[in-house]
Amino acid sequence: MTIELILDGKRTALEILPGQNLLQALRGASRFSVKLGCETGDCGSCTVLLDGEPVNSCVVAAARAAGRSVTTLEGLLGDPLMQRLQRELVDKGAVQCGYCSPGMLISLYALLKQDEAPTDRDVREALSGNLCRCTGYVKPVEAALAVAATLGGAS
Amino acid sequence: MNKVVGTNVTKIDAVKLARGEPVFTDDHRPPGMLYAKVLRSPHAHARILEVDATAALAVDGVVDVIWHRDTRPILHTRAGQSYPEPSPYDTVMMPEKARFIGDRVAVVAAETLIAAERALDLIEVKYEVLEAVTDMDEALRRTDLLIHETPDPRGISQAGRSNLAAHIDKQVGDVDAALKTCDLVVERTYFLPKVQASHIEPHVSMAWVDEDDRLIVRTSTQIPFHLRRMLARILEIPEARIRVIKPRVGGGFGDKQELVVEDLVSFLALRLRRPVRLEFTRHEELVAARLRHSQRIVMTTGVMKDGTIVANRMHVTADTGAYGSHALTVQGNTGQKVLPMYPAKNIHFIVDCAYTNNPISGAFRGYGAPQGCFALECHIDEVARELGMDRLELRKKNHIRLGDTDPLSAKLGEGKEGLVRVVHSTSLEECIVRGCEAIGWGDKRPPTQPYFKRGLGMALAMQGSGIAGVDWGGATVKLNDDGSVNLTVGATDIGQGSDTVLAQLCAEELGIPYDKVLILSSDTDFTPFDVGAYASSTTYVSGGAVVKAARRLREQLAGLLGTKWECDPGDLVFSEGSVTEPRGRSMTMQDVALFALYEAKIQPMATESHMSNESPPPFAAQFADVEVDTETGQVFVRKFVSAVDCGTVVHPRLAEGQVEGAVAQGLGYALWEEVLVDRAGKVLNPHFLDYKIATALDMPELVTFLVETSEPSGPYGAKAAGEVPIDGPAPAIVNAICDAVGVRCYRIPATPERVWRAMKEQESS
Amino acid sequence: MWDLKEYRYASSPEDAVALLRKGPGRGMFIAGGTDLLLFPPACDFVVDVSRAGIDRLAATPDGDLFLGAAATLHTLTTDPLVTGFAGGAVSHAAAHCGNRPVRSTATLGGNLCNALPSADMAPVLIALDATCYIADVDNQESIPLVDFFTGPRRTVLGDRLLVGVALPAEAGRRVCRSRKLTRSAEDISLVQVAVALGMEGGRLDQVRIALGAVAPVPLRAGLAETALTDLDYHSDCTAAVADAAEIAAGECDPISDHRASAEYRRDMVRVLTGRLIAECLDDLRRGGNGGAA
Ligand SMILES: Cc1cc2nc3c(=O)[nH]c(=O)nc-3n(C[C@H](O)[C@H](O)[C@H](O)COP(=O)(O)OP(=O)(O)OC[C@H]3O[C@@H](n4cnc5c(N)ncnc54)[C@H](O)[C@@H]3O)c2cc1C
Ligand code: FES
Ligand code: FES
Repeated sequence: MTIELILDGKRTALEILPGQNLLQALRGASRFSVKLGCETGDCGSCTVLLDGEPVNSCVVAAARAAGRSVTTLEGLLGDPLMQRLQRELVDKGAVQCGYCSPGMLISLYALLKQDEAPTDRDVREALSGNLCRCTGYVKPVEAALAVAATLGGAS
Repeated sequence: MNKVVGTNVTKIDAVKLARGEPVFTDDHRPPGMLYAKVLRSPHAHARILEVDATAALAVDGVVDVIWHRDTRPILHTRAGQSYPEPSPYDTVMMPEKARFIGDRVAVVAAETLIAAERALDLIEVKYEVLEAVTDMDEALRRTDLLIHETPDPRGISQAGRSNLAAHIDKQVGDVDAALKTCDLVVERTYFLPKVQASHIEPHVSMAWVDEDDRLIVRTSTQIPFHLRRMLARILEIPEARIRVIKPRVGGGFGDKQELVVEDLVSFLALRLRRPVRLEFTRHEELVAARLRHSQRIVMTTGVMKDGTIVANRMHVTADTGAYGSHALTVQGNTGQKVLPMYPAKNIHFIVDCAYTNNPISGAFRGYGAPQGCFALECHIDEVARELGMDRLELRKKNHIRLGDTDPLSAKLGEGKEGLVRVVHSTSLEECIVRGCEAIGWGDKRPPTQPYFKRGLGMALAMQGSGIAGVDWGGATVKLNDDGSVNLTVGATDIGQGSDTVLAQLCAEELGIPYDKVLILSSDTDFTPFDVGAYASSTTYVSGGAVVKAARRLREQLAGLLGTKWECDPGDLVFSEGSVTEPRGRSMTMQDVALFALYEAKIQPMATESHMSNESPPPFAAQFADVEVDTETGQVFVRKFVSAVDCGTVVHPRLAEGQVEGAVAQGLGYALWEEVLVDRAGKVLNPHFLDYKIATALDMPELVTFLVETSEPSGPYGAKAAGEVPIDGPAPAIVNAICDAVGVRCYRIPATPERVWRAMKEQESS
Repeated sequence: MWDLKEYRYASSPEDAVALLRKGPGRGMFIAGGTDLLLFPPACDFVVDVSRAGIDRLAATPDGDLFLGAAATLHTLTTDPLVTGFAGGAVSHAAAHCGNRPVRSTATLGGNLCNALPSADMAPVLIALDATCYIADVDNQESIPLVDFFTGPRRTVLGDRLLVGVALPAEAGRRVCRSRKLTRSAEDISLVQVAVALGMEGGRLDQVRIALGAVAPVPLRAGLAETALTDLDYHSDCTAAVADAAEIAAGECDPISDHRASAEYRRDMVRVLTGRLIAECLDDLRRGGNGGAA
């Protein structure tokens, strides 16, 4: 079946299978920042924004995205907040193997869009769906709080 | 001196990774690519008599179905180790007999994933179901039921005679005699679970045949060069026809120190002349990749009243599952990497490792040491308690010190006699001091709820830096027109940051900025050999090769300039991107390069290899502050401190990251992680819903100290950092639980129910 | 991958039921899909109810709260109508269900209709006397949520649609707390308990104790509730609380599985029930709803 959606800001037609998940559909559309880690909604390497909310695209039916807006990391590369998050993640050493990084970035981006002054706990809540087996989360949390600090919110 | 070593340069691949660039194996899809899927055995032990793929082949898009009749039974081991591998040759590509639930039965190749999946459901298999044995003790007893009937051609396992996959019995001194002279003998038994590495990127490989009829394998691996050799054997084609490319890897932790999928895509690509890709599901990761060996460890320790440890025996019984990958060497490490912490005069180390019809065990960060460290470090607390001695004092009295000889390593190499190991660098004593201070040792904080109790625990750990006399790697450095260098290494960056660290070492040695080093790692056509990313060898061993190669390149340049400037090449100083001679003349590296390439007309370039006859141990002292809910048994780790000696720290932030990540994995080992296998051999929790690894919410406050030393045999004094910090968390946490509520969990993970049960038993006794 | 033949979109509750019944083959409703895509069941087509207009949250003039079945768990954690009802107990339960991105799409209806014994939204809603609204093509039925579940993964629905649940205004004034016991921070419930206490002239009234993951269906611990009813909560209630907790533990019927043994689950019902009652009593004594933490 074909669905129409706003993909990374552009009206796009996607050829999908009725039972396909959004993760596979997006990788099929060359959004390689959307990664497969578990396909059970647990690891968050497939996190994207669906109408602005973070979702694990592996547990969202591709067909559900019809008529909605889907944003992947590819669509946010020019966004100043995303760029700050990326820079901080890199500088703080929060990127080890980097497989979880795009998903984490999306979750953190969604958090900071909604809350400019998150606490350590808020950041951890926001990352509760992003498994990282490399970092122990110390540096990703540090990076997120550093960006938040520049947004004017104290934490 | 140029200052690159010791600084937090930008990790070399971090920017592209943070941009989500298509740099991993599966981010590349050659045109015409087929999807492969594996049909797995539902039986723990069964002969595969017949596979009927008629219906499967009729599915639209299905191209091929293979099973054992289509392949040749070439015995090999899938363990990624140096040749000759110290693991039994007990594996063939497609077995005639399934040996665990999840063993390969057939493989489908199809135009689409869904076609491949549909086909799996339609393959009909005739099995002769055999009695299965999943209990390791029973497996060791039974000689009427053999999991492997064909003898191991190299005699490492007892295949064909029994289910003993590996056996070790090594003794220093005489433990039995010594125990009789001791004031106190303490014996306890500890149980370690099967756990899974759970790198977030699953196993994934693709292979195709190029226009020169060569097989190209793009794969997420820790061992590109071993893989090429293993594939050549299995596929019966020369190594020269195979090229293995390792792109970025989304974590490995030992689980990719193994050939897990590459033979299948390679075989199909050669057979079908089309690109073929195979990616594991998480379910397959937990069922058919590799696990940390489960073990039962009996510790028997004899001490004198003053706390002197006189004799120590460790008897390990382990379950390797259906195949013996790393069976001998992981179990060997359980004692070898751990027992030397307390170098008693009498040490006895015994291993019996069983084949069973359980999922396969193999390499996982720590490689046997986390099991041994758990047993030993819990046991030290138990001994202290029985002695009535302070547990910290007991450790301080006995732990290994500078200049001490590790008594066991000479007896135990990687499957052969090893080399004598002397400690030439250690800051363990300072690590203990710093750690105690940070955790507030001896000064327990109050619990935060009336029904909580609080406790502190500690553990000491040591590991190795590469495998002495075995691991080696090569590096090539080549100078370019603009003064940049290409550094090509076989060393395998799997996310730990080895490309960055090696580039730092190269820049330091050449006196050039870090960003002038262009590193390419792991393409068997272009980079020199390296054993791969395992045994904490990359910085120490491969780093040694990089430093040597860079030094040789520098000597070449010094030779050229010495002639040009008529000075002693030894007097030239390479620093800050320039070369300066004693009278003050100076040239930038770019001018040096232009001179070499266009006037002298030579290509400055050097290749060097490095091997070390030592494996200097990194050390760690780790501390946990926990609260235990006395009614539910839940354990909340409030703070975890690691003080680590990894020699010179080349990149502080990366080294800290190694420690923090290892602690997160160790925390899981202590509290939640366990691949549960029932008596029939079936994994009960093959997904992250039930196989719990730490989330951001589970992590306590982490404090990490890197207490530097300078290891004389290491590049710029460096040792290893990747594995040692995974050893201590489990015993430190379990010791803290015991400190809090007075019960010991001899079995991990210390789940709420296990802690609750232990408290109940204590109450009723 | 889920081998579906067709994906249909419903525009209203009636449309949803009609599309489901139209066939051919076996069809299922899909809301967030976070359960269905996890372990896809064999079926031919699905009917997407996320656009059927059943995702609204509403308060009636007399203070009843209506939660649309397709409302997401994230909405339940943040919407002021929900955070302000019964001390935010429903929001609290929703916030402990799954992880942040899952809650963006996972729905209340999916959680209930999925009917896992461990469904995390059930106990708190039962403790607040929720009523389910069920739509057929041409009529609607309402039944108490506690009667909605008929077994593990089984409900009274058949091929009808859950439209939403309603909570009576009176329940919104109870003090209510729920807690889930897990192995790690984010996990399936080993045990889930919700307690709601109303009061009438210094005595407990409308006592509700609901249990999850300890029986084939979420259930109320009726005997324990009775034991507490009419208790003077300004007196020393320690013994009464311990008794009620003990009784509740006797009322559940847990299984042993790879997550926990029946024995442990039962004892945890006792522990959590006791703690929650005690905390609710403290809330009452402090004169109101102390929040759901
Ligand atoms: C990573 C992860 C973690 C999770 N953690 C938890 C947890 O902690 N606690 C918990 O309880 N659950 C958890 N779940 C399970 C699940 O996400 C939730 O139960 C969720 O609320 C289901 O909602 P949904 O809309 O996604 O359901 P769907 O998958 O869309 O549907 C589930 C079932 O309900 C039926 N259905 C849906 N809506 C209706 C309706 N309106 N009328 C009739 N039938 C309907 C569907 O046909 C299907 O059978 C988790 C899931 C994931 C992926
Ligand atoms: S792949 Fe989607 S959450 Fe893991
Ligand atoms: S950096 Fe490797 S999983 Fe997060």
